[in-house]
Amino acid sequence: MKKAYLEFVVGLFLAIGIGCLAWLSIRLARKEFFTRSGYELQAAFSNGTGLRRGTPVVIAGVEIGRVASVGLEDYEAKVHMVLQQGVVLQSDTIASIKTKGMIGEKYIELTPGASDKTIKPGGVIRETQPAMDLEALIGKYIQGNLAKPDDKGQPPR
Amino acid sequence: MLLAVVVVGVNLCACADEATDQVRATTDKILALMADPALNYEAHISERRQLIRKELHQRVDWAMVARSSLGHHWAKRSRAEQTEFVSLFSRLLEETFIDKFETHQGELAKVECLGEKIIDDYASVKAQVTTKDQIVHPVEYRLHKSGKDWRIYDVLIEGVSLVKNYRDQFDEILAKSSYEKLVADLRAKIPQAVAVAASIPP
Repeated sequence: MKKAYLEFVVGLFLAIGIGCLAWLSIRLARKEFFTRSGYELQAAFSNGTGLRRGTPVVIAGVEIGRVASVGLEDYEAKVHMVLQQGVVLQSDTIASIKTKGMIGEKYIELTPGASDKTIKPGGVIRETQPAMDLEALIGKYIQGNLAKPDDKGQPPR
Repeated sequence: MLLAVVVVGVNLCACADEATDQVRATTDKILALMADPALNYEAHISERRQLIRKELHQRVDWAMVARSSLGHHWAKRSRAEQTEFVSLFSRLLEETFIDKFETHQGELAKVECLGEKIIDDYASVKAQVTTKDQIVHPVEYRLHKSGKDWRIYDVLIEGVSLVKNYRDQFDEILAKSSYEKLVADLRAKIPQAVAVAASIPP
């Protein structure tokens, strides 16, 4: 009796575990379906650090697509993204690479423009802003401050 | 200082490309105005600035800069509001630019032109500016073709777009207050920018 109860509990945990795996697979499959059912656009970034397949694409904080692939073309990061149907982008929309927090996950933010022309499916987002190299900027700021004369006008040592 | 590279930067480039050549011609004229001893007296400062504005107006597509900076809010404004916005915003940028240029023109040491890329009617001119402190700043000018002229509609300094920067700011302002408040703020900033530019000694 006791053995039967133990076997039942083990079997129940196993069933729950398999159920969780199945749920996870279905959720991931739904996301994959989402990326395949939209329309594709391309963008080139001079610095695409952190971008990879699956990177979110957002407008006003709302996810409207994902990166399908990232490759190198003409020494720039060429990104193919799939956006959900119905999202219309002006030809002067700006695509910029942002970070969630200071060291978080990268994502592409699309900022709508003012042009009355729109980007057709399969087209290119012309205006891009690369990933910011924060360490380099901080380094330049420090270097610039160290190079400035002191309050008495004396050159830096 | 970095806004000063908008003018001086391309002038010192050694590249011989179509868009770069036109931008260089404008910067040559502006630098000649700055160096003209006849315009270097306090009595002639406003005349010099007016001549600089005229050169900038020819090379920079202020209407496109203003429209693109306002982003998707542009279509919601009436034609009269759009005209007013272009006038105010371009004036503010002009005065800010002239102020920065006159203050920092002596800090630039070397400029290297990294190349020009043209796709259809759009061009990108990349340059690298080194200051006397040996700090290197990447700059990118974005231009579009208007007839035979290439006109600047955006500048990226250290990878940060001028238009994107203002677009984000205007989005934030318009989310929290009204368009009328934005216009009032622009009107208030112009006299400040003019005063700062006027206070810089020749």
